[in-house]
Amino acid sequence: MTSAATECLLRMYDEHHELEDYQSGVPRWCTGCGDNAILAAVQRLCRDEDLRPEKTVFVSGIGCSSRFPHYMKTYGFHGIHGRALPVAEGIKMARPDLNVFVNTGDGDCCSIGAAHWIHAIRYNMNMTVMLHDNQIYGLTKMQASPTSPKGLKSNTTPRGAYLEALNPLTVTLGVQNVSFVAQAVDWIPEVMYDIISAAFHHKGLSFVRIVQRCPEWLPKLLEPWLHDPEKVLLLEHEDAIRISPSLAQVYKNRRRHDPSDLDRARETASGFDPIPVGILYRNPRVPCYEELRTAAGLRSTERIRKGLEAEFDKFTVWPQQAAEGAPAE
Amino acid sequence: MEAGLQAHVAFHLTGKTQSDGLEAITGLDLRPALFAGYRDLTRLRYDFPLVLAQGAGEGRAPVQSLSAVIDGALRKIVQAGEADRLTKHALRLEREIRVLVAAGVAGSLSSLLDKAAWRPMAQADVLFRDSLARLRAALELDGEIVDCDKAMPARLLAHLWRAMQRRKARAARADIDRLVLRLSDILKADLVRSEAGRSAASLKAAFGAAHEHAFDFDAMSRLLQKAAPADTLSDSRRRRIRRLVATLQAQKFFPPPDRTTADGEFYAFAFDSAAGALDAYRERLPSMMDLAKAMAIAELEAAGAYKEERHDAFFADFATNGLDPRDAALFPDYLVRVDGGVMSAGDGARLMDILTAGLPMKVLVEIDDILEPSAAGGGQLVLGARSRQLASSAMAQGDIYVLQSPSSNLFRFRERIEAGLEYRGPALFSVFSGATGEAGGLPPYLVAAAALEARAFPAFVYDPALGGDWASRFYLQDNPQAELDWPVQSLGFEDEAHQRGAERLAFTMVDFLVCDRRYAASFARVPRARWNGHMVPVEASLGEGAEGAPETVPCLLMVDGDNRLHKVIVDRRAMREARRCREMWRSLQELGGIHNSHAQRLLTQERKAWEEQLRRTASASPAPAVEAPPPPASVAAAAAATELPEAASERKSEEAYIETPRCTSCNECIAINDKMFGYNRDKQAFIADVAAGTYRQLVEAAEGCQVSIIHPGKPRNPDEPGLEELIKRAEPFL
Ligand SMILES: Cc1ncc(C[n+]2csc(CCOP(=O)(O)OP(=O)(O)O)c2C)c(N)n1
Ligand code: SF4
Ligand code: SF4
Ligand SMILES: [Mg+2]
Repeated sequence: MTSAATECLLRMYDEHHELEDYQSGVPRWCTGCGDNAILAAVQRLCRDEDLRPEKTVFVSGIGCSSRFPHYMKTYGFHGIHGRALPVAEGIKMARPDLNVFVNTGDGDCCSIGAAHWIHAIRYNMNMTVMLHDNQIYGLTKMQASPTSPKGLKSNTTPRGAYLEALNPLTVTLGVQNVSFVAQAVDWIPEVMYDIISAAFHHKGLSFVRIVQRCPEWLPKLLEPWLHDPEKVLLLEHEDAIRISPSLAQVYKNRRRHDPSDLDRARETASGFDPIPVGILYRNPRVPCYEELRTAAGLRSTERIRKGLEAEFDKFTVWPQQAAEGAPAE
Repeated sequence: MEAGLQAHVAFHLTGKTQSDGLEAITGLDLRPALFAGYRDLTRLRYDFPLVLAQGAGEGRAPVQSLSAVIDGALRKIVQAGEADRLTKHALRLEREIRVLVAAGVAGSLSSLLDKAAWRPMAQADVLFRDSLARLRAALELDGEIVDCDKAMPARLLAHLWRAMQRRKARAARADIDRLVLRLSDILKADLVRSEAGRSAASLKAAFGAAHEHAFDFDAMSRLLQKAAPADTLSDSRRRRIRRLVATLQAQKFFPPPDRTTADGEFYAFAFDSAAGALDAYRERLPSMMDLAKAMAIAELEAAGAYKEERHDAFFADFATNGLDPRDAALFPDYLVRVDGGVMSAGDGARLMDILTAGLPMKVLVEIDDILEPSAAGGGQLVLGARSRQLASSAMAQGDIYVLQSPSSNLFRFRERIEAGLEYRGPALFSVFSGATGEAGGLPPYLVAAAALEARAFPAFVYDPALGGDWASRFYLQDNPQAELDWPVQSLGFEDEAHQRGAERLAFTMVDFLVCDRRYAASFARVPRARWNGHMVPVEASLGEGAEGAPETVPCLLMVDGDNRLHKVIVDRRAMREARRCREMWRSLQELGGIHNSHAQRLLTQERKAWEEQLRRTASASPAPAVEAPPPPASVAAAAAATELPEAASERKSEEAYIETPRCTSCNECIAINDKMFGYNRDKQAFIADVAAGTYRQLVEAAEGCQVSIIHPGKPRNPDEPGLEELIKRAEPFL
């Protein structure tokens, strides 16, 4: 509850931000890297939503894509490999007032962090997760990732990847409590922006897989999709993404897709040629873990200390009692 | 005129019994015939007694009727086979509780249940004890039991008010505690970063004794001193935050949930007089302003949004014109209890002053007797003049919540009482307790109910929060058969020949008056042998309105202790009171939209106009067909949008350009020439200055752009070396 005076004052002096206010440093990504497009779209979103930098946090793991927080002039947490999601969940639990974003790579999320990924979907905490899927370990110079296509030659698969690629969308759509799944491609920035914006506005965990080009290691991989608009299937719906007339002239391959239809979402998500782009699934009624589990009362130092003491006391061996042979309890 | 009628008329006109055929009613224990079924209230299941739920405000109804509580418990325990026994025992216990309460025994539901169970008839019975144990376990709540007596209105209102205050205090406390914590965190962080905070001593103190010998706190301190943080709190901010914390911690308005105002550390808000409440309000006003201001500033500080250059001036004269009503609503309301019986005209005027000042006062005016001696003297009694005046002048203000009700109807009004307590502004609750002390053996509940039935003390609510006009604000529907002058009920009886019959009987003001000892002289019993056809029901007689020597005499049906019917004739004084009462009721009806004269006049006019219209159109030709509606705006707009010329394709390919909306911000072109290519405010590339570079650079950028959205156009400088080859390379991108 905010006092009426405060509310009025805050509104009176609402701060307005420019895109530059969210920029920090010069990205060290290769020129032409798709991560640049994602960064631009996210900075645009922050500006358009006027997110207060001190109320916004970007969390990542390890990888090229995970350098993302460095380039945002907000709070950030460049974590450890595969653990972006648990860190983000902790932040959301402690500070539900913050806007939490997660940037993770296909190695970071689908390989070493796969367990966290599954459970984060099920916990459905309110945050926006962007999976930068370049289908390769970029930072460590080209090792196959779980999403690398079968047959891809890399440093770890010199004879070509043996296994069928994992599809992050269908995996996510298979987890209980999934509430938002979308796919974007970095080379259609307009739609990517709309998707990230919808993801941000969704209450719950919104999972956006962004097919991202890595011109450094896989310059040819996505060329066919890049140059043939027919290989992109735009999903449109009045409750989801609307395609602008100018874009509609380039991308003729479109389908009306109702984001509340889970079965259809799973079916659509399993294709890669043409690659579906848009909101696959959205269910705003799935409960968020942080709301189910809000601890009543204030987390004062006093209370935290008491809680810790009580926890530690369970395992404390009191020297006196131990000597007397009395039970520790 | 025959002799019988003559005597009756004489009584009617003069109030004197001139013949021995008429009998005074005092001592006969008569009551209105419609009360025949209410001889023993303890045998009836009705709204009372009430259970004032303990711990109210935690999402359960703060007050329930005893019957509802018992029914609720029964629903939980009744199983097939035992339903009859459990129900029978539960109802017997309930009746015992009623008997105890009627005998003046006070206590909580559980304690009365115990007492009821110890009545002799219950003790020996094993099954009964089983029923009791199960009923007890199934009770969902406990709390004080109150019957409909003189003290009930004040207890009920205070109970609901306390629940409401607790809710408010809990919300405000949560806010204040949160702010104190946030501000203390800021101060703590500041301390940790300060020189003192990084001293060896304070580092050591922060660490605790257990392993302190393992650390060199001097070294730690030296290290930390070197890494001095750049930003610390300004002195003024630190001082301000300290002051805020002090103000927030010293406030006396909201006790923590486990405390009450009883110990004097926090303000109390219940008062016995309007003047007392007003004094307290005035005295506390400065602290209230300080606290409201501190909360507002603290909120800004906690959000890191307090800017001295903007906010200092604003808060310097904060709320000089009073608090914002939304902020004021966070603070406790004052409960003022006024005894309407001893209230002088001056007291009434002062009370109105307080109400009209818009202060957060919830005022209960209790009236035990609505038949007050007339100000004109002469032993006349007038009907509730003071409370009526108070209620109507309060309603005339327009922004005061007004509720009037006899005590018997208060339980049904419980949600409206809560609405009045919650209303952001003053509220007046005017209640008639029914404990007149002049009604012989009638319990207060019945006297109050009679006042409601007889329109002597109608129930209504004026709630300014419900809308802008009387139609939405004024509520009259809790009065029985509100559309009639007097409510009508059916009375069943058996005649001398044991034949059953029923008669429709109106309950009028005269029925209310006959219950009052002071009006006994206005009534005379007519022995059965003298009953005649000139004796007509009061309602019919009131309808005639004729004065002078009447052909008929108004008469009441009454019953005695054995429920035998009696007829009682009524004098002119009582009839006059009834007529005045009806007038007052009719004007209330108008306010409530019942038989509203303005509306009826308008309706007649409109109907006439409408009939006129019908007559005219009947002779004219049929109306033309309706035109097809224009397409909805959005469809038209969408159509226009798709027809927009596509900017890119229309462009002359002579000129260099970029399909900016498709740019992926990949930096390729910028890396080639950041003067020629630039980013727009969405960080998407456009040709900033085509003259800032060469045609070669344009072509190379077009080749490098992975999404192929750079179109180099035709070279501008014909002398640029290697043009021929460049033009060929540019071909795919035109
Ligand atoms: C625990 C751990 N294991 C392995 C590594 C090495 N490592 C660094 S980045 C990376 C893969 C990153 O791939 P991805 O998440 O797809 O990010 P990209 O660079 O492709 O954006 C690996 C395996 C590490 N840093 N930590
Ligand atoms: S290696 Fe690939 S993913 Fe990493 S920055 Fe370079 S282009 Fe981007
Ligand atoms: S090269 Fe193309 S995509 Fe990259 S910044 Fe320039 S115009 Fe945009
Ligand atoms: Mg990768």
